[in-house]
Amino acid sequence: MTKTSSGVRIRADAALLAGLGRFGALAILIVVGALASDVFLSGRNISNIVTNASVIIILGVGQTIAIITNGPDLSAGSVLTICAVIATLMVKQLGIFFPIAILAALALGMFLGFLNGYMIARIGIPSFISTYGLQWAVFGFAYVILKGYVIYDFDTSFRFIGNGYLFGTIPMPIVVMLLVVTGGMFMLRRTVVGRELYAVGANRVAARMSGVDTEKKIIQAFILSGALAALAGIVLVARINAVQADIGKNYVLPVIAAVFMGGTSPTGGRGTLLGTVIGALIITVVQNGMNLLAVDSVWRDAVIGVLIILTVLIDITMQKRLARIQAA
Amino acid sequence: MSGFSRILKNVPAVLWVELLLVIVFSFFSRNYLTTRNLLILLQQGAVLLVISAAATFVIISGGLDLSLGAIMTVAGVFTALAVNAGFPIPAVIAVGALVGTACGAVNGLLISFAGMEPFIATLGMQGLLYGISLAMTNKEGIPVSNERFVFLGDLVNRTVPMAAISCGLIFLLAVFVQNHTLLGRYTFAIGGNEEGSRLSGVETRFWKWAIYAFAGFLTGLGAVVLVARLEVADPIVGVQWEFEAIAAAILGGTSLRIGRGDVRGTIVGVMLITIIRSGLNVVRVPSVWQPAIIGTIIILSIVFQVWISTSGKERK
Repeated sequence: MTKTSSGVRIRADAALLAGLGRFGALAILIVVGALASDVFLSGRNISNIVTNASVIIILGVGQTIAIITNGPDLSAGSVLTICAVIATLMVKQLGIFFPIAILAALALGMFLGFLNGYMIARIGIPSFISTYGLQWAVFGFAYVILKGYVIYDFDTSFRFIGNGYLFGTIPMPIVVMLLVVTGGMFMLRRTVVGRELYAVGANRVAARMSGVDTEKKIIQAFILSGALAALAGIVLVARINAVQADIGKNYVLPVIAAVFMGGTSPTGGRGTLLGTVIGALIITVVQNGMNLLAVDSVWRDAVIGVLIILTVLIDITMQKRLARIQAA
Repeated sequence: MSGFSRILKNVPAVLWVELLLVIVFSFFSRNYLTTRNLLILLQQGAVLLVISAAATFVIISGGLDLSLGAIMTVAGVFTALAVNAGFPIPAVIAVGALVGTACGAVNGLLISFAGMEPFIATLGMQGLLYGISLAMTNKEGIPVSNERFVFLGDLVNRTVPMAAISCGLIFLLAVFVQNHTLLGRYTFAIGGNEEGSRLSGVETRFWKWAIYAFAGFLTGLGAVVLVARLEVADPIVGVQWEFEAIAAAILGGTSLRIGRGDVRGTIVGVMLITIIRSGLNVVRVPSVWQPAIIGTIIILSIVFQVWISTSGKERK
């Protein structure tokens, strides 16, 4: 009996330690940034960082839920792109009332998420192949629609969600991000659906045995991921006031990095949205630092790639050590 | 049963589709079923066949390599630099192969020895390797013009498809390794039952590492031929290649879960992708539409193939 309880305590301590480690990493990065650049700690730059992080966090919430339940949604960058393209096209070219355009984009994101979920759960293609494959087709269609052009300069009412300020002070991307994170946390922690998603990811067979419709849960998780990718796309284009066919390409690696930095387990069943938020802040601070230090853009993906590998390596090492302590 | 009839039995649907497509395309253009066009098709599909063979090994073993396109790109950049530095041809080939093997070996270390999920390790490597190739080339292609090197991928006198011959030889090597070496045997064993193989005395960690390194080796050789054929090393040429390679393996009958497959079957998958690509030009599909259509067809055919192969015995 003592063995189990001490095992639980060690696990809890390790989780706490990992959480502190993430905060520590973020704090160190902030100190380094402040020392390296005068403007880093300016209010303007900080607001910039959090606003930039918001898009990654919105995507990251969907990604975290997908990975907890089954596996990565590597199509998120492409879904973001095509939904942004469709929404802006409706607003700008067809003059459709902007809430309808936003709803249409969300519906498209959910549809693409459904396709991913269907391929994974019903056909049985692993998510890192099905979503990776869907990505190329979707980017292809975004390219067909835009034909290499850029759509820019949208109506202020449409831009409010990315460019506006709530009560004149809080940037709207941060507001949307906070709503998404709170909603996601509530769903994962306080609802039956949330528990079932964790259960499906931790052990799909056991979840099915205990009466969970595992295929339906996987499809739901990917629909959610698709919807959030669409939302992130709308916020992003409303903020930067332009859209082109490869706008989402730069988001795939950073989002995956943020999720794993947040301690989500690659094999499913374990992960928190708070972790993803911290992970996204770390990634954004790193990106911001590279901008301020004028690091050549060619190295940006490389740095993120190395960060992904290092983070997961550290996580694996910690898990192994934990297992050894528990066994002793 | 002979090897060929086994292939026939494994992938009938895809082969029939290919035959149908060739007939349809030859109606659209009188030049489609000409020797010259078939030679061009061979040249275009050759390198993909090598990369797909690499992907097939990894998938049979139960793994995944999303960095193959990036490995090909980096190996190609080093190859071009070696050519332009005046290396003799055998040394140039060795450079490409070594760079590819080194990248694959890093993947293998991360996956087999450190225990990372394949998709994470190879996705991270993809980012790193494209960064390296972009930095080394300053974001521009490196042209090569050494005649004796370019010969390796040339369509000599418009009749001798050297890229196809070079890649054919590399492919035969892959088939040999699959059928006649320990590496080949353990690839199937690990894919079929990794724990069981380990318990029966197979050094699974080492062999898993070796599979990724070998995939990198094949990809590096493929990169040499690609640079010779295109006469340029482009810093992002490999984007999406890993996906087409995975698709070719799946279409060729390689199973995603149970360590079953055959490098030879992958030929059929590569043929399908190459035929579709050429056919879109023949039926004059505008080039803007091609990525969307090819992407859609490939993902649909994967869905179809996996659906067929699991609707019978394997399901659950």
